[in-house]
Amino acid sequence: MTDPHSPKSQHSATSHQHIAPSDELSYSPEFEHTPEKTDLSDTTWVDRWVEKGGQICAWLVLIAMLISVYEVIMRYAFDSPTTWVHETTTFLVASIFALGGPYTLARNRHIQITLLQDAVGPRSRHIMKVLQWLLGIGFCVAIGYACWVLAWKATHTPMGDWRLQTSGSSWNSPLPAYTKIMLLLAVVVMSVQMLARGPGLLRRRSGGNA
Amino acid sequence: QQEWKFQINVNAGDDQYKIAQQWAEDVAQRSNGEITIELLPSSAIVGNNETLDAVGAGILQGHITDPSYFAGKNPAFAVYGNMVGAWSDPYQFLGYMRNAGGEDRYNALVEPYNVHLIRAGAMIPEALVSKRKIETMEDFKGLKIRAPEGMVSNIFQLAGAAPVNLPTSEVYTALEKGVIDAADYTVFATNYTQGYHRFAPYAIYPGFHSMPMMAVSLNKDIWDELSPDDQQMLRDSIDDFVDHLYQQLTEADQEQVEIAKQDGVKFSTLSPDELKKFRATAQSEWENWRDKSPQAKEAVDSMIQYLKDQDLL
Amino acid sequence: MTIEIATYLLVGSIFGLLLIGLPLAFVTGLVAVIFTLGWFGPSAIPLVGSRIYGFITEYSLVAVPMFVFMAGLLDRSGMARDLFNSMRVFSGRLPGGVAVQTLIVAFFLAAISGIIGGEIVLLGVLALPQMLRLGYDKKIAIGVVCAGGSLGTMVPPSIVLIIYGLISGVSIADLFKAAFIPAFILMAAYMLYVIITCARNPNMSGAHKPWADAPNLTAKEALKGIAAPATIALLVLGSIYGGIASVTEAAAMGAAGVLLAVKLRGEYSLKLLKESLVQTLETCGMIVWIGIGAACLVGVYNLMGGNRFVSNAILGLDVAPIVIILVMMAIFLILGMFLDWIGIAMLCLPIFIPIVKQLGLDPVWFGILFAINMQVSYISPPFGPAAFYLKSVAPEGITLKDIFGAMLPFIAIQLAVLGLMLAFPEISTWAL
Ligand code: NA
Ligand code: NA
Repeated sequence: MTDPHSPKSQHSATSHQHIAPSDELSYSPEFEHTPEKTDLSDTTWVDRWVEKGGQICAWLVLIAMLISVYEVIMRYAFDSPTTWVHETTTFLVASIFALGGPYTLARNRHIQITLLQDAVGPRSRHIMKVLQWLLGIGFCVAIGYACWVLAWKATHTPMGDWRLQTSGSSWNSPLPAYTKIMLLLAVVVMSVQMLARGPGLLRRRSGGNA
Repeated sequence: QQEWKFQINVNAGDDQYKIAQQWAEDVAQRSNGEITIELLPSSAIVGNNETLDAVGAGILQGHITDPSYFAGKNPAFAVYGNMVGAWSDPYQFLGYMRNAGGEDRYNALVEPYNVHLIRAGAMIPEALVSKRKIETMEDFKGLKIRAPEGMVSNIFQLAGAAPVNLPTSEVYTALEKGVIDAADYTVFATNYTQGYHRFAPYAIYPGFHSMPMMAVSLNKDIWDELSPDDQQMLRDSIDDFVDHLYQQLTEADQEQVEIAKQDGVKFSTLSPDELKKFRATAQSEWENWRDKSPQAKEAVDSMIQYLKDQDLL
Repeated sequence: MTIEIATYLLVGSIFGLLLIGLPLAFVTGLVAVIFTLGWFGPSAIPLVGSRIYGFITEYSLVAVPMFVFMAGLLDRSGMARDLFNSMRVFSGRLPGGVAVQTLIVAFFLAAISGIIGGEIVLLGVLALPQMLRLGYDKKIAIGVVCAGGSLGTMVPPSIVLIIYGLISGVSIADLFKAAFIPAFILMAAYMLYVIITCARNPNMSGAHKPWADAPNLTAKEALKGIAAPATIALLVLGSIYGGIASVTEAAAMGAAGVLLAVKLRGEYSLKLLKESLVQTLETCGMIVWIGIGAACLVGVYNLMGGNRFVSNAILGLDVAPIVIILVMMAIFLILGMFLDWIGIAMLCLPIFIPIVKQLGLDPVWFGILFAINMQVSYISPPFGPAAFYLKSVAPEGITLKDIFGAMLPFIAIQLAVLGLMLAFPEISTWAL
């Protein structure tokens, strides 16, 4: 099964309609011999929830597209550009980018170089996976803290009172604060995803199955 | 021995950057090498709207910027940053900041962010390049104009224009292709050297609508540690910097205007009567900003008082 | 620790983490965090948050999800398949004809957009599986998509040239004019390479593949397959060049146009829409998070004084101007292996431009050299954004090794064109 868009063939929901998959990519013998399947053995129930949530968040893309077209029409045909589309599009797209992180993690689709990992034996491979996991957690916690400071400053005055940072524009929406909260949310979710993978990863050592 | 990193809100190729660089060298000289300042261009470390937090946290030691970038934290920043229609030359505004308590009020606003304004500066009035001739307020009707968010764009809207929200990186192509008819974007010399006139052959010069503040600020902890002599040295150096900036930017503008005239760029400006109408529109907008925060009210009220005292209003 | 040693440590740790197999999205970000902590302490960590926020709210990136969405729709509907079947008919006897036509499509896309991410994803989804289906060798197919897709930043409108103009204070109008012919030469050189390679080895362009997979269409049927995509392309180009939409908005207009075409072709279903949207989220997650890490790294490296590393390499050189320029090119190429173009621009241009002006050389010409160097940086390993964009949508079985391997001849072409521009500045500057 070598459908270009559904790396995980078990997810039939994302399989392809128009191109019959089986003979599609049979042009090169190397392809058939080195199929690079996305390894989902590490993922947990948290990832499956994130995946479900992501399918809802994906609709933000459509909204961003529609309002951009609306802005073009309002400006070109009616000479009355909006005050809100630019800010809203930026917010929506930033949210898509931020939330794309946990979603891609849930599907184990972040690009990695597996050259060394593929070359070593199962024991070393397991050690590398644990190392990846630890470093991944380090990354999530560190940027999680950074985004926490960012979100705190966007939602509080220096005196500590609640105040949402706004755009300062004519519309003056609180979307900059929401963007920063969304970013924090994405990083927190990624941290939880990583942490939830720990027990399974460490347990697997005894089974010798990497 | 102190090494400071200052981020400025302009690109390395701008005249303002080079003049600020001279200021940094001047500070090193005045302090006998005790204080060296490394000047970083726009967005080198953080985005322009994040420098206040970065200076407060000590990631940067200082910044040279237009406070309008922080209007989302407190609308008062926009009032100090660019009180549209209030000032027709930088020294009027600097008079308010230096002699009428403006700097103290501004410091009351920024010090909670752990940032101290060393001295206020100002840009020269910005130009407005356009595809059509603008001589009266009537000419703004229906004009699709790229304008910075906030007070400026509100006033253009009140004047009947259609302000369009675009980042600076899209101004050029938008003018080229005709998405917008006019652009409010920095001083004339820069507009001209970047080639905007090829698609927008009219320019309002001298500009009247926008003259941003240039705040030169330092992390407050560092400021408090400095000796009174060093503090005074910094203030003096910035006053010289501001004078240089005014002279050199004005010269650069005039030089480019002469070249532009030969290139067929048409210059115009509003007559005194039309300027009055513009100011009246602007004043009704000031009223809106008064209500946005206590600090904004204080800023607007004190500026109006100062303008009245000086017979400017 | 000097900035030189820190630079080597930084590069070394990037390689180390890459080898361990840490996702690329985490590698640069983690290195940025470690160096922030090591150099400045925990109080500087918020810098990383500010960089991330700045990156994801970059307005020009709004075009990326629009292009990805457009690609998903084109591919899931029958439009991509029909288009390439038709292109095969029109390619006639020209060796590598479909690849050559793909380059023409890439050139049109380049005239619509100023960034590369979306275009490569679009071509990667649209053209790559189709070329492979028609029997093209993956080396040719991948190279054409990445090198062709990168042209967006050479052909006006180009965000690279705009930023270069803003940073260096050079006329953007002049840069746009000067870039057009070098960009055209690049495209022509890619085409020539494809034609020569496929002529020498017809199997590279699927000559061994029976026609059964691509139905033998009549000219009329073939025209029909091209009609819808061509109409959309013309509408989008028209909306930009007619002053209706800004460059970024045009991407949204294009996506809306494709959605409408899908509907008109009777292929629309909720499932198709949902799948395209979800794919957009995933692809953006993959490519944007790699950019996020790179953005953090650039901020930290700048704060550490990375510019000193660059200026130390240049200052004090008492050699002929052309040697200084060659050293600058070498720095662009080396940094291009690790940083993205905006980072390189921030780091080098404030130092290089004044030197270029002092030497009495034309900064517009230097801008073109910079833009060609950035073409190389998109596809040079280990950090080649174009390669990652493509990987994010490439069919299974296409590894990063395949992708980077396929780039080598194209990098050679880019370097040859760079040499041409160095030797004959008039090629770019005569238009001014
Ligand atoms: Na382009
Ligand atoms: Na590279």
